[in-house]
Amino acid sequence: MRLEHWWFTVPLRLRSMLRRGQLERELDEELQFHLEQKIEEGIASGLSPDEARYEALRAMDGLEQQKEEMRDMRRVNWLTDFTDDTRYAIRSLRRSFALTAFVVITLALGIGMTAASFSMVDALILRPYPVPLPNTVVTLVSTSRDNSFDSFSYREYQDIRGTAKSYDGVIANGAFSPVGFSVDGAATPRVKAGLMVSGNYFQVLGVEPKVGRGFRKDEDEVPGRDAVVVLAWDFWKNEFAGDAAVIGRTVRLNGTDFTVIGVTPESFPGMQIFARPDFYMPLAMARVISTNPNRNFFEDRDERVLSVKARLGPGTSLDQARSEIAVIARDFAREHPALNRNRGAAVRTQLDMRTRGDDPNWKFGVVFSILALGVLLVACTNVAGLLLSRAGTRTREIAVRLALGAGQFRLIRMLLTESLMLALLGGVAGIGVGYVCIEMFRQFSIPTTLPVTIPFRMDARIMFACFSLSVASAFLCGLAPALQSTGTDLVKGLKSADVDAPGRLRLWGRNVLVVAQVAISLMLLTASFLMFRGFQHGLVDGTGFTKVARDHVLMASFDPRLMQYDAARTQRFYELLTERARQAPGVVNASVTQNPPLGLDDFDAIAFVPEGHQMSPDRETFTSAVDTIDEGYFATMGIPIVRGRAFLASDTQDALRVAIVNEHFAKHYWPGADPVGKRFRLDGQAGAPVEVVGVAQTIKYRDTSDKPIDFVYLPLAQRPIPRMTLLLRSSGDPLEVLEPLKSVVRSLDPNLPMLVTRTYEEVYRYAAVEGPAIAINMAGTMGAMALLLAIAGLYGLVAYNVSRRTREIGIRMALGAAPRDVLRLVMGKGLVLVGVGTCIGLAMGFAVERLMNSMLFNSGGVDVLAYVIVVPTMFLVTMLAAYVPAHKASRIAPTEALRYE
Amino acid sequence: MSKPNDLVQGTLDLLLLKILALEPLHGWAISRRLKTISGDVLQVSEGSLYPALHKLEQEGWITAEWKQTENNRRAKFYSLTRLGRKQLESEAASWHLLSSAITRVVRLSEA
Repeated sequence: MRLEHWWFTVPLRLRSMLRRGQLERELDEELQFHLEQKIEEGIASGLSPDEARYEALRAMDGLEQQKEEMRDMRRVNWLTDFTDDTRYAIRSLRRSFALTAFVVITLALGIGMTAASFSMVDALILRPYPVPLPNTVVTLVSTSRDNSFDSFSYREYQDIRGTAKSYDGVIANGAFSPVGFSVDGAATPRVKAGLMVSGNYFQVLGVEPKVGRGFRKDEDEVPGRDAVVVLAWDFWKNEFAGDAAVIGRTVRLNGTDFTVIGVTPESFPGMQIFARPDFYMPLAMARVISTNPNRNFFEDRDERVLSVKARLGPGTSLDQARSEIAVIARDFAREHPALNRNRGAAVRTQLDMRTRGDDPNWKFGVVFSILALGVLLVACTNVAGLLLSRAGTRTREIAVRLALGAGQFRLIRMLLTESLMLALLGGVAGIGVGYVCIEMFRQFSIPTTLPVTIPFRMDARIMFACFSLSVASAFLCGLAPALQSTGTDLVKGLKSADVDAPGRLRLWGRNVLVVAQVAISLMLLTASFLMFRGFQHGLVDGTGFTKVARDHVLMASFDPRLMQYDAARTQRFYELLTERARQAPGVVNASVTQNPPLGLDDFDAIAFVPEGHQMSPDRETFTSAVDTIDEGYFATMGIPIVRGRAFLASDTQDALRVAIVNEHFAKHYWPGADPVGKRFRLDGQAGAPVEVVGVAQTIKYRDTSDKPIDFVYLPLAQRPIPRMTLLLRSSGDPLEVLEPLKSVVRSLDPNLPMLVTRTYEEVYRYAAVEGPAIAINMAGTMGAMALLLAIAGLYGLVAYNVSRRTREIGIRMALGAAPRDVLRLVMGKGLVLVGVGTCIGLAMGFAVERLMNSMLFNSGGVDVLAYVIVVPTMFLVTMLAAYVPAHKASRIAPTEALRYE
Repeated sequence: MSKPNDLVQGTLDLLLLKILALEPLHGWAISRRLKTISGDVLQVSEGSLYPALHKLEQEGWITAEWKQTENNRRAKFYSLTRLGRKQLESEAASWHLLSSAITRVVRLSEA
């Protein structure tokens, strides 16, 4: 039935669309025929031809309206009308070019900013994995009290892979790690990003290498046997100029020869958001890139370094997978109580993984999107206000159209088409604005060891968002004016060129707009101010290390494994390096650290049991962030030791194991007691005892807005780490000691590469200045824009009112009102509106503050200063916007005013 | 707007379909025919008739053709389609159902 129906109606619709002219003629002819028949009937019944004609016409009243109704019956009217309306809209917009330009720019800024923020949200949260059926890829995590997104160890991964039935495949990958790469043994290695993956990685993800092949199952079975590598597309293009002959060749990775077996397809940039691996190696080759020589990757069940993903099998629900992994976790806890007690496991979706509570990036994206939508909303209300006053001057045109038989709905559509055209123009320009903003984000260089890809981009998804926003804003700013102007009283509308509908009702809409503008822009200003204050607040207590360190430290990283140094030789290398560097000209102090503070590489974590601290029964160990340093570190960075001592050269491998903790740690575990001399055990009750010999001041470790955390320093001699960063404190410009440093390194090993060389100031600037600056600037720009728009809106409203009431003002003044009274009359209204807007804005400001505090700055309480500054400023500025036209009104000469119109 | 207030809602379609089921007619003739058959009870104004015809045409229930009238004037003749015949059957059926139900209610004796 349905199909048959279509069979008949589709040709009809097509005909209505394509042969409009003919249909119109037929319609005329049909009605004409009817009319003539009616006249004949009238004549036959004895009327004169004129009378008959008159009677017939009266009987068929409103011929034109009937025709319009019949056109509606064709069902394709919306389309044919739309093309008419579009043509008309373009013509009328071109006529009022200035207004069009203003509206388009306003909307473009709103839409562009929203698009830019949305590109952040998209990249950080929404964009699916670049693999087929991305929704079926889930992440399996180990969970403990301190970490609900923990990794699994190799053995655990093997067990899960062996037992889980919910999946079409379980894959694992190691951390993104720096690997020394060279095409042969003779060349100096360069640092590239390597990723260890399980042998089934590509196959389960559905990523088929176009050049060469992926890993075979047996290539990931025997530790250390199959040195094969799959190159990433970009890396292959850059390093090997996309030469397919590279398959079968060997490359040297961290000193081991690997055979190239394949190249990933271009469509697969990797599963991470920020990082793109340069090549992939099987897990079985872990020995080559394992960072911790003290741990056995293949055997230690608590060496949890693998991130495990799985593809849900067809017909398996997330809930099934969840209950299965819970069972597996219970089995682990039963079989390995020492390592897995109080440890669970969970299945996380992509969204879960990307909206982790401890990751501030996506939160900034969300907060910015909310703010940008606020700007767009203000822009829309402004445009609505403009269209509204324009609609006022078009009353007559509309009235004529209504009188000629246009339906109200039809006119609303026409007017909406106009605002749609405006909004689409705004959307196109908005894509431009968004593109510029996104490019600005992308310019930003992040001082990490491995290159970071900034994933924000203007792509089809963002353009679609722009388009949707345009359509939404067209309705938002076009609907009210359209409804209002088509609801005009016909008779009045025809009499006057510019008539006001019943006063109160008409102005009500505009009042709401102004209140909304004031409120939203107040909220945005508050938000930007709070963001500024939030970052500033982070720096009030300082970073904890001296400014000298910030301005005069040069950093260089080394990884002697690249030249196949063993642990002892590595140790010796760092000793000699610091010793000789310290004597180089211009160098005041030198030391090494695993991770400098505020850097982007995260700190290692240690598990420990503090002595004398009552452990709750469900807890085996505590964890803390840790840095490995040598004895010169605190002096070089200028971090004060508040109790006890720094490390000494005598804290060697064979001496008593020692540690330095920060004040926060000391207060946390030994409140009120002297922490110096206390001990903790590493890794658990049975672990090695470590004695605290000093307490260092708590500093900012990860970023400037972080709250104090527990922190432990361990000496390099007792915790050998192959990859360390040398810090050189210079007396002058830190770059001046670069050449002396190079010669020191050459004297030690001419082939050893200096991996990353930059001033510490660069790292600091990124963490404490540039990153926050971008956020502050963005929020500030949005606040300023909203304020400007609100000023324009309020000015427009008051000016409009004045022009409306010019006659009235003239009469009042003629009757003896003083300019002061007029000013009060006109301003009073603005004052009320701004007042109401301020109150609402204040409430919204508090809400935003709570949101930002909970999401970004970890601080409670209300920032009174922000409101003390923002609210009066806002109030004064908006009042000024109202004052200017009001003042003008009070200067009107009564004689002129009375002649007005 | 110009809804036939003298006709039960929705019955105009049924009437038009039924009349056209007998023979193809043009709009004027349809309005005459309605009037005569119903003994002047049912009057349909032009303002309802033509939109209704156009609606039926767009639904694919009737189709139109330009033909000469008996006195050699060009007029648009409407005739029922296969789809329209089905529609007529179903609408007639539901009309019978409705009218007999109403009749039964009206005839309830107030005993």
